[in-house]
Amino acid sequence: MTFLGMPLLRSKHAHSDLPGGQGNIVETEAFPEVSHEHLSNQQLRNNIGHATSTIRSKRAEVVSELDDWEKLRNAGEATKNEVMANLPEYLAQFEEAFTATGGIIHWARDADEANAIVTELIEDNAPVLETGRREVIKVKSMATQEIGLNEHLETQGIDAFETDLAELIVQLGEDKPSHILVPAIHRNRDEIRDIFMKTMPDAGQLTNEPAVLAEAARKHLRHKFLTTKVAISGANFGIAETGTLGVVESEGNGRMCLTLPETLITVMGIEKLLPRFADLEVFLQLLPRSSTGERMNPYTSFWTGRTEGDGPQNVHLVLLDNGRTRALADEHGRTALNCIRCSACMNVCPVYERTGGHAYGSTYPGPIGAILSPLLTGVEDEANGTLPYASSLCGACYDVCPVKINIPEILVHLRAEDVEANHSPVSTQLDAALTGASWMMGDGKRMTAVEKGLPLAHKATRGKQIDALPGIAGAWTSSRDIPALPEKSFRQQWADEEAQRSGTGAQTGDEEGQR
Amino acid sequence: MTDTAREEILARINEALGRRGGGEYVSSNPRSTTSAPGVAGPEATAADAGYHHEGTHTGEDLVELLIDRLVDYKANVHRASGDPAGTIAELISDHSSIVVPRGLESAWPAGFSGEVNVDAPGEELSVDELDAQGAVVTASAVAIAQTGTIVLDGSAECGRRAITLVPDHHVCVVRVRDIVDIVPEGIARLDANAALTFISGPSATSDIELSRVEGVHGPRTLDVVILSE
Repeated sequence: MTFLGMPLLRSKHAHSDLPGGQGNIVETEAFPEVSHEHLSNQQLRNNIGHATSTIRSKRAEVVSELDDWEKLRNAGEATKNEVMANLPEYLAQFEEAFTATGGIIHWARDADEANAIVTELIEDNAPVLETGRREVIKVKSMATQEIGLNEHLETQGIDAFETDLAELIVQLGEDKPSHILVPAIHRNRDEIRDIFMKTMPDAGQLTNEPAVLAEAARKHLRHKFLTTKVAISGANFGIAETGTLGVVESEGNGRMCLTLPETLITVMGIEKLLPRFADLEVFLQLLPRSSTGERMNPYTSFWTGRTEGDGPQNVHLVLLDNGRTRALADEHGRTALNCIRCSACMNVCPVYERTGGHAYGSTYPGPIGAILSPLLTGVEDEANGTLPYASSLCGACYDVCPVKINIPEILVHLRAEDVEANHSPVSTQLDAALTGASWMMGDGKRMTAVEKGLPLAHKATRGKQIDALPGIAGAWTSSRDIPALPEKSFRQQWADEEAQRSGTGAQTGDEEGQR
Repeated sequence: MTDTAREEILARINEALGRRGGGEYVSSNPRSTTSAPGVAGPEATAADAGYHHEGTHTGEDLVELLIDRLVDYKANVHRASGDPAGTIAELISDHSSIVVPRGLESAWPAGFSGEVNVDAPGEELSVDELDAQGAVVTASAVAIAQTGTIVLDGSAECGRRAITLVPDHHVCVVRVRDIVDIVPEGIARLDANAALTFISGPSATSDIELSRVEGVHGPRTLDVVILSE
């Protein structure tokens, strides 16, 4: 396909000739290796296990209050599919409306371009301080995490202050977010107190009580909110019909950034649009309930371009591609772009719960990250081809997704793509085990023969769990334990029970095997 | 630079969607639920899905539901009928100065003995002045009972966004006639072009071990006065 006057697109990928995204969406180490490291961190597992189970039950409770929840999910899914199918029209419509009310739109093909645009806007609008550097305040934003904006600004003489409490904890701790909703979920209160006392010059002595720590953050940021000239935000929704942008939050730091500075720069992925203002009636029900398990989050702000006499009078929006068009080109995977970043999928995922978010090596962890990251970059990029295997395919993520993204189906699709693209069997242990299992289960006699070995194996292992296997199977037991072997196979137990019930005496396994 | 980026991104999208010549949308995905090319009308999705557009609560039940949800979010709820001045005066009696938007009913803060600063176009309080106010008193545009949400729309009696954000105490009057049951009814009453703030309880965070702390950056105290007329 040729586009007249367009520069040639990089032909990096066999699958799609559209360029992949860059920035913090690339796993540099294979998932099994990096997750293995995190599995041994008991503190992290405890913190995450507690947090995910708490949010999980809160979510289930508030979702059960709505008897039209499934219909809302259907509406959410249909609306996002409608957006993707008509994206150029909706983007044009949004651009016209946002611009008509005094907003200025910039388009960025990738992370580098977005970072350069934001840098230039800051240089034009934020003064150089006595320190010789410029300062901006930031609302938590997945898009700016994705493009590595803070790191880039740092090199340009600009300090970007995160104002969300969790992001602040992560930033001050020189750490990385591990969850998209509660980025400091892996930290406990003692760790947070230590970080604050070490990095906040005026904090003084703090206890580990959450209220005390939140108060310290308030004091630390208050002056910045009231004096900083430029703020950077993301957006949860952009309304094509009206040019409206929206940010959903809890603490009020979002409102501070969106309201007090003179200049507001928002970075938003091109996929975040909703067609009509009225569509918010669906998404403002789906998002908070799926995300924090609340009926509604404490604060939501909407603004349409510039509002005369209210808030920033210099309003910019950077519309970001960074691999989104590449993901859109994948007909089986494109619904991953419907994601509204609620994080419900990671809170139900048994794999995420054990490894934590850092193992995914991306701004987007958990089940959605396991599909979104490779879709944005291509499975060929570094270790992103390993991410679709970071799942047990249990389907819990699909059940909770408010816009019904079929994550398990896309995971399987991406695994196939990875095998095709990277031409190497992913897991020799898995292949060997499956080949063996298929040989055994393909014939009842073989199955029975293997089962007959069970009592012996039970004896040999002394009825204890197995925590180390030799050879390639050792890769399995290095991060998991195998439960103690039973004395009898399920089929044998079944046959015995049946025999007892009918009083006909024990059936032999062989007869079963004949079928 | 950015114009080129715009054209290129739009061309990429057309290619990704399998459109030929950048115009017509051709779906080869059997799962796609959209068949019509171009921008679909407002009836395309929302109305077909069959979720509730209207709630079932009315009258006192509706008010009770709102109160229940507000209290759940740790807002303080008070009721007044006719003239709320007495209730408001009591709530703000500890402060020496308050701010009110230009269009607030002048009778509402009349019982307050301290200084009343009116924030109006051309006479806006500076951020530092707002920071020095003990409280802000405003009206509201809509309240959604099911979620305990109060919406401010930047109108003359709600004020610009900063005045309800910087002072640590927000007293917000909700008229019973502005209470709706569910979110779709609330959205339907709003003007998208207004600067809107949805408030569900005071500022809160759960970022430290998921234990909820009220009051981080927004007002730490939210008093809601429900006004029957």
